[in-house]
Amino acid sequence: MNAQSSQQQSSDGRHDDDAALTDFLASLMDYTPTIPDELVEHYLAKSGFQCPDVRLTRLVAVATQKFVADVATDALQQCKARQSAVVKDKRDKQQKVI
Amino acid sequence: MSDGGKAESKTGKKSRITRAGEDNFGRAISKVAVAQICENVGFESFNESALDSLADLAIRYLLDLGITAKFYSNLAGRTECNVFDIIQGLDDLGMSTGFSGASEVEFNCAISSGVVTEIRGYVESAEETPFAQPVPHFPVVGEWRLIPSFLQMGEMPGFKHIPEWLPAFPDPHTYIHSAMWNERVSDPRTDKIELARQHRKAERALLNLQQRLVCNGLPVASTSAEPDDYRSGLEVNDIENQVLANLSEDEDQDESPAILSGKRSGEAKMENHVTLLETFAPAVEAMKDGHSDSGNYGEKSFPGKRPAVCLEFKGDKNVFGESLDLRIRNKNFGRTAPCFGREDEKDDKKRRVEFILRQSLENQQELT
Repeated sequence: MNAQSSQQQSSDGRHDDDAALTDFLASLMDYTPTIPDELVEHYLAKSGFQCPDVRLTRLVAVATQKFVADVATDALQQCKARQSAVVKDKRDKQQKVI
Repeated sequence: MSDGGKAESKTGKKSRITRAGEDNFGRAISKVAVAQICENVGFESFNESALDSLADLAIRYLLDLGITAKFYSNLAGRTECNVFDIIQGLDDLGMSTGFSGASEVEFNCAISSGVVTEIRGYVESAEETPFAQPVPHFPVVGEWRLIPSFLQMGEMPGFKHIPEWLPAFPDPHTYIHSAMWNERVSDPRTDKIELARQHRKAERALLNLQQRLVCNGLPVASTSAEPDDYRSGLEVNDIENQVLANLSEDEDQDESPAILSGKRSGEAKMENHVTLLETFAPAVEAMKDGHSDSGNYGEKSFPGKRPAVCLEFKGDKNVFGESLDLRIRNKNFGRTAPCFGREDEKDDKKRRVEFILRQSLENQQELT
């Protein structure tokens, strides 16, 4: 019984989670990722990923965008750190370049 | 980032294209998308190679995510992927970098997995920048052109063991080499004929001019009275002879060889000067009246020797070098004396004299 109840609770929790997930996916539809849908679909099809749902495609696109943004942010920090070390010698501000 | 270090390729653009294979369109789009993302992050410019690497990385991430999600869905006995498959794939890929809640992956609380939380945070925080340009649906599938079968071609396969519904063999001319001959008509001949025609035109024009000189009351030998520069009048006369002689050739009576030889041998002296003129005067008159028949012309002016016809034009050899140029220049007049192709020691002098004659005639024409 305890197990059942715990199960029920977890299933309720899961329902909530699912609801939250659904909401999340719905919110994804409002957000247009920078990576176009066609590109994502092309590469997913290439890898064997089969899904007719647009929301999943958007999810993948957003995930990739986040990944690239993370890499870029780290690179930017690196660049700034590099330049700040040099700025002591050169007073002029340099361009941030990848 | 396995190939992040690969900056410039050795051979430049070409090797880059061959490395990318058939996926250039997708790569180009991903480059633009990645550039937009970086711009949002705060960068101002990119190195070409760095952008290439980052775009390549994004594509690989996409592919990896797809492969992993597919793997998880197959593991669960499905062919179509789920949101949970994707989340698990994200977890997999994020393992190397780490995310919060990694220890609780075993639970199926997808929404509370660290990766999803991070993504949610990203969606809420990051500004929305859609892709810059509309992207057409790709890859575009072209029409499949199947090789027609034996039946469709209407052919019989040559061998018994080949059924008819198989694609037909290629045409024999595609793999059998047969000798080819050049079917062109010989061009040099037509060139020579054309040259001879132009010769005749020039001769006729020159003769007309002399007619006019005769009409004006000047003696035909006015050519010798013309400004300076002749080596000798007889050479001019020789040229005249040749001109008139070749005019007869124009009418396809080739007496020029015999006549030329006769005249030339006989006229090394000035005494024959007048007799020549007398001889040629009727010819000139004949030309004046109009282009008379070749027969009359021939009979009046020349002795009736008619040796065998042999065209002596050596068109390929430019004895008088400038004559061709002048012909090109004075197409309408055709004033140049034709080249006669006779190889004797007087050729050089004749050439010079002719040139002078032409010049003087030019002057005369301008005056009149």
